[in-house]
Amino acid sequence: MQQRPIVPIAIVVITLIGLLIAGASKGYTLFILALVAMTGVVGVGLNVLLGLTGQVSFGHVGFYAIGAYTTGILSLQGVSFWIALPLAGLIGAAVGFLLALPALRVKGPYLAMVTIAFAFIIEHGAVEWRGLTGGSNGLMGILPPSLGGINFGEREMAMLAVLLMGFAFALYHRLSSSAWGLGMRAVRDSEVAAQSLGLNPVTIKVTAFTLSAALTALAGALFSPLMMFIAPSSFPFFQSILFLLAVIIGGAGSVFGPLLGAIVVVGLPELLSDLAEYRLLFFGILLLVVLWAAPKGIIGSIAARFRREDPHVAANDGIDLAAWLKPASALSLVIEGLGISFGGIRAAHGVGFMAEPGKVTAVIGPNGAGKTTVLNMIGGFYRPDHGSIRLEADLAGQPAFAVSRAGIARTYQTTQLFGDLSVLDNIRIALRRGRLGLLLGKSKAGDDTALAEALLAFVGYTGPVARLAGALPHVDRRLVEIARALATRPRVLLLDEPAAGLMRGDKHSLSLLLRRIADCGISVILVEHDMALVMGISDHVVVLDAGTPIAAGTPAEVRQNPAVIKAYLGGAEMQGRPRVAPWSGPADAVLATVNLTAGYGAAPVLEKLSIAVKPGEMVALLGANGAGKSSAMRAISGLLRPIEGSVLLKDTELRQQPAHKIAASGLALVPEGRQVFPELSVHDNLLLGAYTRTDLKPEEEVAALLQRFPRLRERLHNRAGLLSGGEQQMLAVARGMIARPQVMMLDEPSLGLAPTIINEVFTVLADLRDEGVTILLVDQMAVLALAVADRAYVLESGHVVREGSATELRGDKALEAAYLGHVEN
Amino acid sequence: MLLMSAIISGLGLGSMYGLIALGYHVTYTVSNTVNFSQGSVLMLAAVLGYTFAIRLGWPMPVAVILALLLCALCGLVVERFLVRPFAEKGSNGWLMATVAGGIILDNLVLFSFGKEPRSFPSPLATKPVEIFGAGVYPLQLVIPVVGLAIAIALQQLMQRTRHGKALLAVVQNADAARLMGINVRGAIAGSFAVSALFAGIAGLLIAPLYAVHSDMGTLFGIKAFAVAILGGMTSAWGVMLAGLIFGLAEALITAYFGSIYTQILTFALVIVALALMPNGLLGRAGVKKV
Repeated sequence: MQQRPIVPIAIVVITLIGLLIAGASKGYTLFILALVAMTGVVGVGLNVLLGLTGQVSFGHVGFYAIGAYTTGILSLQGVSFWIALPLAGLIGAAVGFLLALPALRVKGPYLAMVTIAFAFIIEHGAVEWRGLTGGSNGLMGILPPSLGGINFGEREMAMLAVLLMGFAFALYHRLSSSAWGLGMRAVRDSEVAAQSLGLNPVTIKVTAFTLSAALTALAGALFSPLMMFIAPSSFPFFQSILFLLAVIIGGAGSVFGPLLGAIVVVGLPELLSDLAEYRLLFFGILLLVVLWAAPKGIIGSIAARFRREDPHVAANDGIDLAAWLKPASALSLVIEGLGISFGGIRAAHGVGFMAEPGKVTAVIGPNGAGKTTVLNMIGGFYRPDHGSIRLEADLAGQPAFAVSRAGIARTYQTTQLFGDLSVLDNIRIALRRGRLGLLLGKSKAGDDTALAEALLAFVGYTGPVARLAGALPHVDRRLVEIARALATRPRVLLLDEPAAGLMRGDKHSLSLLLRRIADCGISVILVEHDMALVMGISDHVVVLDAGTPIAAGTPAEVRQNPAVIKAYLGGAEMQGRPRVAPWSGPADAVLATVNLTAGYGAAPVLEKLSIAVKPGEMVALLGANGAGKSSAMRAISGLLRPIEGSVLLKDTELRQQPAHKIAASGLALVPEGRQVFPELSVHDNLLLGAYTRTDLKPEEEVAALLQRFPRLRERLHNRAGLLSGGEQQMLAVARGMIARPQVMMLDEPSLGLAPTIINEVFTVLADLRDEGVTILLVDQMAVLALAVADRAYVLESGHVVREGSATELRGDKALEAAYLGHVEN
Repeated sequence: MLLMSAIISGLGLGSMYGLIALGYHVTYTVSNTVNFSQGSVLMLAAVLGYTFAIRLGWPMPVAVILALLLCALCGLVVERFLVRPFAEKGSNGWLMATVAGGIILDNLVLFSFGKEPRSFPSPLATKPVEIFGAGVYPLQLVIPVVGLAIAIALQQLMQRTRHGKALLAVVQNADAARLMGINVRGAIAGSFAVSALFAGIAGLLIAPLYAVHSDMGTLFGIKAFAVAILGGMTSAWGVMLAGLIFGLAEALITAYFGSIYTQILTFALVIVALALMPNGLLGRAGVKKV
């Protein structure tokens, strides 16, 4: 931020130094100077692609060749260089645009391939199109340009190249601080979030590619008069890699990085001319060393070290934000009959509700109820199969950026900030609402900054506005993301679990903030697991279960609705069989956690969790969504790392062990959502369960499992992905059993299953318990879990708040409150 | 005649592209990364085979096995030092790092093996035999057979063996595979070894038909990558099919339009094909999750 005014001065100084060197040197040095400057220009062009949009091109030598051949051919035809030069840029841009259309539909290795193919086509095209290019003999006798009676020699060409480089730096600097540059970096950091701010990633990426191609072709245009001879062999494929190397060495995204890179790429072989044949080997090693040791490049790493953060904190400079945020007219968002299926499975069906301006509408439901799916349909990320989403027009099926421009903004379950942009820039790009203006147009930085700061102050962000969003602590990410959504001046704000991972105090400020946002006249739609928060601030609550609405009303109405209580805690028709006689067994735990702490950001998901499971015992972990039950299972099994505290299996410490070793030492987790291997047969899935066993008798043991799970018998050789949810759950349990674990852990075995199937699964669990299998169970259906378990822990915010025998906990009012929110007085 | 010999050499070349491309496919499905120095591994196998068998005069089976083992080792090294450090941080630096690795390998061979192209004599490539009036070396008939046999063998290993199934499990759900006790990191390293092994086999097979030298692999690697992309990366059969189509197209274009148009037309086809089918012939689009 602070260095901003320095950059233009540095550009002028560097250009002047270049001109001075050109004036003072002669012969070969001039030639090298010109090559450095031209490579620098290509580097800047690639930097637009690599540094701003994060795309890699292996084909830029093709654009370089296009520029060189344009001036070469035209000057042999007697056309003035000063006409040919801009023409080269235009042709480069046009070809770049045409290539970008197919190239940018694809990503990663696919994009690399398209650009590689392009480079080869240009190289071989130059060989074959003899009439135009002179074939492999090339074009000879290209005359240098003249201007005002001066015939250009090497000195003048070098000066011209230096001037072009200065121009390229200025262009890059202007671009990177313009709205388009911000948009490019936003698309690089999170395409998803960019779309939901109304930015069209395709337009932005095609623009970057075109610009990059044009700059490269301009640099190439100087190549032919400088060399006075060009041939296809002047543009080998390897040159593309050298261009990339120049950008990476200097540092993608830094203004002057490409200059340093160009000096290295062009200059070093000259310095080491005795070792010329080792040139490529040297560049290969250099590239590796930079990638390993300084991924941001040399300039980038130095800049990062010296970067001083402006401590300036956001302040509202007399802007009436409530008036600014207030929508022009009061319109409700009306959703009717919304439905979508994935691969034949109905994720949502017949969802309808109305979100009124100035009100907080909460969408709640147990895990897997389809809440985020509904949010994704409203936000334009999923195209619904049925139904309508009306604000002014019907928005169902519109792409995300169109939905955003229509006035619907959103935040995400895992925040999607633009990590390499400052907090302020995150807001400033959102303020554009998808309208980026002219390509190099001056952004109205003053107004934007004042507004952006007012928004940050409004949401309660108190950190420096210049901080990179990627470096923010968890709470601040949530706040900045809300500010960014508000910056689009939405009529409707969608929030996906904004309180996840927040501490109690932060949750309180969040609920006040949401209220203030609603009071501005915005319709707030909230998907949230924290019932206390939902019940505290919502005007209207919609409850989903298995993709369909089961209740709607005020918080008080919903909390007392039997269907809701059943969906959350399990109902009367679901029954588990208790143990005949109370459990008694050895007191030494087979599995124990001691002060287990894990999680990201400010608030740990697990905080000093201590539980113990004794041999032969069945223990349940209960608690609301987000209380840390599944995280506990993942931390114990090794999927969630790193963790603090300890996890002991028969006195062996598992904290440092990877998941596959933990599984091998006798802990089987039947994971949430079954996680069967969909493309493998049921039989293969079972055998994989016994992957670490050496004493497996496959036929006998599979036969024994089929006895227990008769539903799997006729499906034994079908692909597991074709099984129904209930059958997949049976398979997942069987797959866990065949490992013969010391402790079997089950995470949400009833999730998304019909009551009769749930009963079947729980009958099997009761059987296993009676046979002496040690079980740790997590299930949403507390009533059911307590029916089969011997003992239970109740979790809240990642630690145990209550422990007791299942009998004690059954019918405990505190438990219901933990699930549906405490009744606040 | 022209057609017949074009078809035979096209199938041979195509099955080699397919084999190298299978290497890209294996690592991409397991870890979403590829080794861009596959072409250099191919060259390494040819150079090692030549060195062991011709220069040192070791028996051919010993030379072949040792060369292939060293290729697999090379794959492990690439994964450990050029891919894993970047992939585990979620960076795509592996892309440039493996390119750099290929450049380094090519040049190390250039300085140790020499600049001169060497011919790798093979009893299968000395006397042409006549098939439907076209003269071909027996090796040209062996190559597609071996290529397809390896593709089928890979398929069988994956479908029938315990470790093959473990690899499939990693592809389908890495976390669940960990819960089964499968070492996912090891599986990824293994896939790079297998990938390099395929490139090595291809290198040894084509060495007698082309001269052995330090940059013989570059164009092969790039074309095989085009094949892998065209086939759709995630489908083994798609990749093999794309290899045969690419090889045939190349041979037919060469036969009827002359070799000058081969590169232009085949690479143009790649761009057009990707513009029409962004996921390749048999590839599948990933599901977007927000």
